[in-house]
Amino acid sequence: MTDRPQRFLTYQGIPVWRHAVLIQWALQIVSTIMVVTLVLWFFSNVAFAISDRDIPFGWRFFSRDYGTPVPEHALPFNDSDDSYAYALLVAATNTVLLAVAGVILAIILGILIGIARISSNWLLSRLALVYVEFFRNVPLLVQLLFIFYFILILPPITETYNLLDTVYLNNAGLAIPQPTLDHGITQGLAWLTAAVAGIVIGIAVQRYLARREILTGKVSYPVATGFAVAVGTALIAWLVVWIMSGDTPMGWSTPEPDERFGRLEGGLRVRSGAIVMLIGLVIYTAAFIAEIVRAGIQSVGRGQTEAALAVGLTPMGVLRNITFPQALRVIIPPLISQCLNLTKNSSLAPAVGFADLTNVGITMTQTAPAINIFIVIMLAYLAMSLTWSAVGNFYNWRTRIVGA
Amino acid sequence: MASQQTMTPGASLPPPRMTTGKAGWVRNNLFSSPTNGVTTVVVAVLTVYLAWLLVNWAFGTADWSVIPTLGGTLILGQYNSDSVCPSNDCFWRPQASLLIAVTYFGILWAVAATPLVRGVALTVAFASAAMALIPLPFDEMGMDVRLLLLANIPAVFIGRWLGRNTPVGSTRNLIIIAFVGFITVYFLLRGIEGVPGLYPVPSRFWGGLMLNILLAAGGITASLPIGILLALGRRSNLPVVKILCIGFIEFFRGVPLITLLFMSQTLVPLAFPRDFPLDEVTRAGIVITVFSSAYMAENIRGGLQALHRGQTEAARALGLPPWNTTTFITLPQALRNVVPAIVGQYISLFKDTTLVFIIGMLDILHMGNAFIGSNREFLANSRELFLFIALVFWVFNYGMSYVSRRVEHNLGVGQR
Repeated sequence: MTDRPQRFLTYQGIPVWRHAVLIQWALQIVSTIMVVTLVLWFFSNVAFAISDRDIPFGWRFFSRDYGTPVPEHALPFNDSDDSYAYALLVAATNTVLLAVAGVILAIILGILIGIARISSNWLLSRLALVYVEFFRNVPLLVQLLFIFYFILILPPITETYNLLDTVYLNNAGLAIPQPTLDHGITQGLAWLTAAVAGIVIGIAVQRYLARREILTGKVSYPVATGFAVAVGTALIAWLVVWIMSGDTPMGWSTPEPDERFGRLEGGLRVRSGAIVMLIGLVIYTAAFIAEIVRAGIQSVGRGQTEAALAVGLTPMGVLRNITFPQALRVIIPPLISQCLNLTKNSSLAPAVGFADLTNVGITMTQTAPAINIFIVIMLAYLAMSLTWSAVGNFYNWRTRIVGA
Repeated sequence: MASQQTMTPGASLPPPRMTTGKAGWVRNNLFSSPTNGVTTVVVAVLTVYLAWLLVNWAFGTADWSVIPTLGGTLILGQYNSDSVCPSNDCFWRPQASLLIAVTYFGILWAVAATPLVRGVALTVAFASAAMALIPLPFDEMGMDVRLLLLANIPAVFIGRWLGRNTPVGSTRNLIIIAFVGFITVYFLLRGIEGVPGLYPVPSRFWGGLMLNILLAAGGITASLPIGILLALGRRSNLPVVKILCIGFIEFFRGVPLITLLFMSQTLVPLAFPRDFPLDEVTRAGIVITVFSSAYMAENIRGGLQALHRGQTEAARALGLPPWNTTTFITLPQALRNVVPAIVGQYISLFKDTTLVFIIGMLDILHMGNAFIGSNREFLANSRELFLFIALVFWVFNYGMSYVSRRVEHNLGVGQR
């Protein structure tokens, strides 16, 4: 042992320039300095240009009166004395409503097309394939403009399309009947509460019966029973409120043409921009969701289907009880990312004149500092994106495979 | 006495259900069960009805004259209009740019000599040359322009010859040539003050499909390397680099492209001095590239994460340093596995180039929309126009996804 050659004993360690820890630290410091310099350069130039070129900048516009109408507003909006900040809030509500409606419809359509895509029926699966390949490969904006002009060349209000005097469609938009609370807010809300409670009870009944069916084998039609409970509760509540107060709990407002002014009154009137956005976003996103659903269902092993068929489940039962629940784990994460995409794609609204966050923001830039407005809008979209990510992360956490 | 029993054959069974041949295929795929049969009939009736409506419209009521009326402006925007290019002799510059691109495809064909690349190169060359046959009015597209378009066919072969017989044909040189090519095309299109034949055309007049393709080509070339760097940075074990990359990726994935494009028109110009401004197209191109590379980074990260740890461990055990482990072992495998995702992102990038329409650039959508807006007599033909634009994009994107499927097949993804 003592004969070990001297050169091994006098080993000095790795040279400094190849020392892993030192290199890592050097890299981090260098990259930090580079990024900080770049950011500082960018923003100092911007700050200089703002003062030098008299670019409007500042946050005071927020509390000023906006003074411009916001065409669509789910929240009450008065354009003479509501502020910029409130107008942005109204626009953000429009974006959120559009995104939520779009997500719900796109998921329904996407699942239907995705299932059609793997149908054993050749014709159906080919049609679904054509749908997916067409709408996925055409820019959303082109589709939106196509629908926009399609609605624009519909007849004007004076010659509106009319379905049974309740649904009106013309180049200004769509008008459909709408339930109202004008028979008294108390009784309306009472009935709505009862109806919601009925739905909750219905779901609970369905879950209980389904569980009992699995445990004991007693056939009790859980979905039909739950549905009946929900509908029954709503009907009984309706009758009770009607008898007690002598009036139906909710009113019903149908759109009616106003001959003098050449416009429609009453009902839920949706301007064409909102319809274009909703149809376009749903058709486009459904094509992507369909592919996600197809890939998810196909990711479930064939043995699962074969075993389920062997124990006597119907093909529909296999899909509903065996394949789809297992596929969900694969489907949900990319589905959430499509929901996020839909939300972000709703920002194409300026092209068709729907008053979403981006569109109102663009209008505002004519009277207020553009940079500040777009910083706020970007932050709003970031918040929406983070919300979707949080939903996705929550789902991943809930359905994680424990111990894997 | 045993009774004599005669064996009488029963009625013969029907022939077995056919499962082969055309009739068998129809039975298995269209009428396997009563529900299936009903579905087939209903779907078939609906399809035939819709197809009949469509054909009836496309060849009967539809008036496609709006497309030749727009003509070259759909492809080039106002590039060659009187106000932009005084003597209308700027037509050759986009064509020359196209020639450069086609030659590049020829070099690519020489470097990556597979049937797929050959197919792509030849398709691009012949499709470009076929534009010479577009029946536009003769004065708008002169014979010289048509000849220049036809030159795309020899160009691809010249590119191939160059790639085979000169030093340009190597992977590293391909990158350098792409870079040089972009700069050449940029100056060719923008023109240079004082040079005869290169009358300056400011980039805000670039338009039509040319603009979409330019933005997409720039984005496609640049977003992959940037995306790879971001993905590696996000997986790095250096905390500062990691945090910077995560912040960058999540920010650009979290906001819509349209807001970024607006910032590129309002905020970004302020960062550059007045006498050295960045032009609109470059700004929009940079924003689209950055946006796309954030998505690209996530796709590549997915591929890196799917790789088995053993790959890195084996490489390290063999003594490969970390950087070589990445470039020779993990990255190639990761990229191979995410080819469909990368091409999907390219398709999305090409589709996203239409968003420049909203910030007022003159891309193909803008040309169509502005034309309908200022010629109300064509309002009823907007369907034909936008369907045509949709088909143009569809052809490009479907082509890309077709190539992606072939690449995937050639690389044997999922088979090894």
